[in-house]
Amino acid sequence: MPKSEKTKLMCRIQALGFAVTEASEYLDSHPTCAEALEYFDKHNEEYKQAVKEYEEAFGPITASSAGSDRKWKWVTEPFPWEGEDE
Amino acid sequence: MWQYEKKLQYPVKIAHPNPALAKVIISQLGGPDGELSASMRYLSQRYTAPTREVQAILNDIGTEELAHMEMISAILYQLTKNLTMDEIRKAGFQDYFVDHTTGIYPQAASGVPFTAAYFQSKGDAITDLVEDLAAEQKARTTYDNLLRLVDDPDVRDPLKFLREREIVHFQRFGEGLRLVQDMLDSKNYYAFNPSFDK
Repeated sequence: MPKSEKTKLMCRIQALGFAVTEASEYLDSHPTCAEALEYFDKHNEEYKQAVKEYEEAFGPITASSAGSDRKWKWVTEPFPWEGEDE
Repeated sequence: MWQYEKKLQYPVKIAHPNPALAKVIISQLGGPDGELSASMRYLSQRYTAPTREVQAILNDIGTEELAHMEMISAILYQLTKNLTMDEIRKAGFQDYFVDHTTGIYPQAASGVPFTAAYFQSKGDAITDLVEDLAAEQKARTTYDNLLRLVDDPDVRDPLKFLREREIVHFQRFGEGLRLVQDMLDSKNYYAFNPSFDK
């Protein structure tokens, strides 16, 4: 089954989020590594951009973006363990 | 504190339920070397770590382990979705079913429930970090054993990701241990607790 736009964007967020996590943990033990800092900044920027894009199109990733439109959108989208592909 | 992100760290999407696999994979949720014990170990140990770097390593890896607990739970949930009584009997899933139906409960593959006795927080950075190095290796071995038992690529894929993380975290804890040992010298190297003795 071809992946939906929603799933494709979520995969991108997961990949970028992983790069950010991995870089953060590396920086914990190498806090002055310029190359790692640059890598972190680049991927963190792309991650924030992708999250913004996803939340505008498909619904909140954090509860802080679940308000507005007179509806609590936190409960209108599935939780991630369901493995559903819309 | 923490804020929940409505996403898994790595995708889990299993097409075919298989309760027999859930019976063994559950050890990485609530077993002796599972993700719950990993998370509680590091998040408990971080307070008395003697350097900011080691505090950060324990904090951030402990946080990532919470996301791994969620991935394992998602695997278990999807492997036990929409089962018939016949499938439950055939897979030998009755022992779990009788106590938990298909609820996700932290226990080892043997059925022993999760206990905090699986980990230590000793208040000695060298002692704690050496335990953490061993914990990552034990979890990696468990993933190796699971990968010997599991054929379904939908299940193997997230298990392989989690196995890789054990290897990277072993590396980070090794660097943390080196940082702590670099603080010591020949006068205090032995019988000295860098978290307590000043």
